[in-house]
This record gives sequence, C-alpha cells and structure tokens, in this order.
Amino acid sequence: MMRKHDVKKAALWTALVAAAISTSSAIAVAQQVTEQRIASSLGKLTTAAPIIDVALLREEAANGAGKGMTGLPNWGKVAQLPQMVVEIDFQNDSVGIEPESYRTLGLIADALHHPNLWDYKFLVVGHSSATGSDKHNLDLSEKRADAIREILSTTFAVDPARLFAVGVGEYFPIDASKASTADNRRVQLFNLGVFR
Amino acid sequence: MQIRGIMIATVILGGLAVGGVARAQTISYADAVTTLAKDCGADIKKLCKGINLGNGRIADCLTKNASKVSPTCTSSLDSVSAAIRQRNDAQAAYTKACQHDIAQHCRGIKGDGYTLACLIKTERIVSGKCNQAIIDAGWR
Repeated sequence: MMRKHDVKKAALWTALVAAAISTSSAIAVAQQVTEQRIASSLGKLTTAAPIIDVALLREEAANGAGKGMTGLPNWGKVAQLPQMVVEIDFQNDSVGIEPESYRTLGLIADALHHPNLWDYKFLVVGHSSATGSDKHNLDLSEKRADAIREILSTTFAVDPARLFAVGVGEYFPIDASKASTADNRRVQLFNLGVFR
Repeated sequence: MQIRGIMIATVILGGLAVGGVARAQTISYADAVTTLAKDCGADIKKLCKGINLGNGRIADCLTKNASKVSPTCTSSLDSVSAAIRQRNDAQAAYTKACQHDIAQHCRGIKGDGYTLACLIKTERIVSGKCNQAIIDAGWR
C-alpha cells in the first residue's frame, strides 16, 4: 500500500517567508545560507500578517489538491509573501535529518534568536514529492515539519509558542510539471507576524 | 568589622561576576551543531538512524551507544551541549545587562531589533557590561 520513496536523498527546502509587501513574491534560492541572510529576509515584515489557522490550512491543503497554494483562500494569503529557500536533507522515507543539515537548522535558530525576529511567530510547512501514495506523503511531510519544530524549540530553545507546523504532502509542488522531483521535498518556514 | 567584611565580600563577588561575563566565550548555534555534525556525523549515521536532535535524542542515542562511539565524538558531544547552553544563557542575560543603557541612550525606540541597533550604534558610550552582553549573545 505504502510505496517508499525511491530517491535516496530527500532534499527539503526551507523557505523563509516574511509577511511584507504583498505585491512581490520574491523567491530567492539560497546559494549560501547565512544567518544574516535569513534574518534580513524574515525581517522585511512591514505590514500585519494574515491571521492563520493551522488546522484550517491542513484541511485546505488536503482538500484543495491540484489548485496550488495561490488558488486557496488561506494558503493564498501566505503564498504571496517573500521567501528565502534553504535545503535540509532527510534520510530516505524517514524523519531523521542528515547531520550535514544540522548547520542549516542552527542558522535558522540563530536567526530566530536575534532581536530582529523576537516579535514573530513562524509556520513550518513540510512538503513532499509525488513519489509514493499521497496519504503516506502527507503523513511524512507532517512528521518532518514537526521534527523541525521540535528541534528548534528544544535543542535550540526557541519558544514553542512561536512555532507552528503543518504537513501538506505533495499537494503544493514547486514545479507541478515535475511533481516527483526532489525539489518538491522541502520545508517552508513562514513568518506569521507578531507574536501574542 | 563585620560590615567591612561584607563589603569586601561584595566587592570580590561583584568582581567575579563581571569577570565571569567578560570571560564568557560563546559560539553560534550553527557553529555548535556544525562541530557536532563533523565529529559525530559518522556515528550518528551508523548508530542513530532516523533519530533527530530534538529533545536530546541524538545525545541520548550517542550516550547509550558510548562503547561504539568514537572518542572525538564523545568529548565533542559535551562541549557542543555546553556551547549551546552558554549561548542561550548569554542571550537571556542581554535584557538585564543592557536595561540601563537602553533607558539612557535608546529611550523611545520601538522594537527589539531597532533597540539593539541603537545600542550597537552608541557602542562608545554604552556600558562595558552591555557591550559584552551583546558580544556574548552573538549580536555584534
């Protein structure tokens, strides 16, 4: 029933999204990720971010397959925000993060600990490629998003109240024409706006 | 006599506290876990498959398998945990250490990021204690 992922290296992307100017959806693929770059990307928040209901987002993703993020009422609001993309590698068909990606997690933690971002809460969104059943992919992406939230909030002491996690499986491919590509295995981190 | 004794003790303890802050050498979370990945990566891949850093599970796994873990990794594990703790403590100390300077030099500035930027800009007149706290927190 559950087909396993056949790609060895699950390349996950972390897109750091700042709620900001809603006109531009700037997606910068990170050649080299630095804390400064994460912090400046996330620090662009100039307007109030939309109010986000994580349970609603989860439901909307599962029921809105094929529409893409921008075609859904709630996801559409966050999809327009500027983002920064970094890569996190997971073991094949597992929540285990490869040690090579520890540094990236640490860089995200450094950025979230900087006073520039103290005020903000974040949403971790797990994605998968279309390889394997969509139910399995949904579960795996959710567990991976949860794993990142847990690492940030325990190992790196980011206040868990600032962090939300949701998995959306294969429903929002970066490139819909290549739904099985490894690029679609990624995790996004959205700035949800002011905390409290 | 007794009062003088207390005063001397206060001066000594106070001096120690300041010295302690000045000595604190902290590294970023990224650098800390990069060291962990470098020194323990092979052991983690071999012995801790599917296990993540969260809730101390990598540390638990490496400790449980201590007999099979490389000596470099074992010693690194302790220093990395200490480094993460130190950075966290240093950041927690910032607000109090800079409280006075914020009131003095950066009053009326809204937002934690802008307040820090003000303290960094006025570095020359900010107290040594606050400047050191900013360095230890990794924000300069």
